[in-house]
Amino acid sequence: MTTEAPAAPREFAWRMPGNWWTRTRHYFLYMLREFTAVPMALWLIWLLYEIKRAGSGPHGYYPRSSTAFVVFSVIVLGFVLYHSYTFLKLAGVIIRVKLFDRPVPSQVIVVTMFGSWALASAVVGFVLIWFAR
Amino acid sequence: MSEARRRPALSHLFFWFLFSQGGVITALLLPVHVLIQGILGPLGIVPVVDRHYDTWVNVIGNPLVKLYLLVLIMFAFFHFAHRLRYFLMDLGVHAAKTLPAQAIFYGGAVAVTLVAVWILLTTAPLSFG
Amino acid sequence: MPDKRIEIKATRYDPATDEKPHLQSYDIPFYDDSMVVLDALNHIKSHVDGSLSYRWSCRMGICGSCGMMVNGIPKLTCNAFLRDYWPRAIIVEPLNNFPIIRDLVIDMEDFMRKLKSIKPWIIRKQELPLGAGEHYQTNEQIDDFRQFSECINCMLCYAACPVYGLNNEFLGPAATALARRYNLDSRDQGLKERLPVIADPEGVWECSFVGECSVVCPKGVDPAKAIQQTKLDTTMRFVLPYGNRD
Repeated sequence: MTTEAPAAPREFAWRMPGNWWTRTRHYFLYMLREFTAVPMALWLIWLLYEIKRAGSGPHGYYPRSSTAFVVFSVIVLGFVLYHSYTFLKLAGVIIRVKLFDRPVPSQVIVVTMFGSWALASAVVGFVLIWFAR
Repeated sequence: MSEARRRPALSHLFFWFLFSQGGVITALLLPVHVLIQGILGPLGIVPVVDRHYDTWVNVIGNPLVKLYLLVLIMFAFFHFAHRLRYFLMDLGVHAAKTLPAQAIFYGGAVAVTLVAVWILLTTAPLSFG
Repeated sequence: MPDKRIEIKATRYDPATDEKPHLQSYDIPFYDDSMVVLDALNHIKSHVDGSLSYRWSCRMGICGSCGMMVNGIPKLTCNAFLRDYWPRAIIVEPLNNFPIIRDLVIDMEDFMRKLKSIKPWIIRKQELPLGAGEHYQTNEQIDDFRQFSECINCMLCYAACPVYGLNNEFLGPAATALARRYNLDSRDQGLKERLPVIADPEGVWECSFVGECSVVCPKGVDPAKAIQQTKLDTTMRFVLPYGNRD
């Protein structure tokens, strides 16, 4: 599908090629980044379903163990990590904070973001594992 | 573009806010869930709460956990809805810009949130264990 | 030493006779390692084909006139060295996302209109009386907006932006960066006047942070950063009770 920009008569109007995002590596990686929403949504829907299945009683409940599910999770993990890396790195660009009237350098903000990621993962991971005993 | 038509787009602002918060929340929290509940747990490498009925029910009975899951799911799906709508626009689907499309995508996020609320309220009785 | 030569393929489009643009190949001498694509175009115009049309001026990366697509990337042709491409052919096309007037010349009316729409001048609620003297500004206050003031209006960012390519109504990187330059200027009090344009549905919200605008900017303006910060500031302004009124 293409779009046309308005142009004066005899000017050659611009048409956006439908495959614009295949033309450079940057554009492709951008589309990949946006696409991560799909696998992430699918996995979270699985999680919601897991929660619901706990309502089916002890005899009805069985944990997912299939190879297919693990493969699905591995693929999703790849996309999720790409989302996290790009989003947190870019969040450092956006956030403008002043400490004692001087702007905090963006590298510090990025490091804080990744530090928070590590901390959050540690906490959640702990809960997921500790309460399984 | 006439000057008269210009006004701050409060709805766009609101959905962008939810998108950006959802992006941070999913970025911080989703990887560990996928890694542990999706890979290490099923492979038996570490014990995970959802591997056994009693541990799973115990954890998701906790009101804090219910709240955590609700916040995670709500912000995540508003993030996904916004991102997917723009993804379609990037693919040249102009219909994704329209008001009906916005209703479908953000309405979808609302629907998933409501389903999550229902599931969290009806599954695993509240326990403080 | 045999004469080095290089092939330049340039877009030709004569609105009077052509249905659509097409590439024309020129084989020219590459006699100096410091030659840039603009030098090649000038050689073609002076010695080979005087009908080739293109914009240029300062030839030193400050006027913003000579922006074109060089092998698919928006560049200032005065800043694209032949040695980085030789011996491969160089394809020179008019900037993407704009209508073509002729050959390598694009219609920049939309861009000019957008720049004007964000009111790129100091807006005061009340002008200082002459007797009060000049506005004082510290280096730190200038640092707040300095980066966004470096724009030379070369439009490479618009050529790089797929959102603008798909939707001509989008305000775009340079205009938003310029708006932010004034909004952050301590002398300016015009944020409220600019808000309807930058926070319009076709304003910052259209941007999906591809980031290519900042990658191609020859002056390090980082318009992508300007747009994202504008989104955040605008949101905070409406979300917080007293807003982030800076």
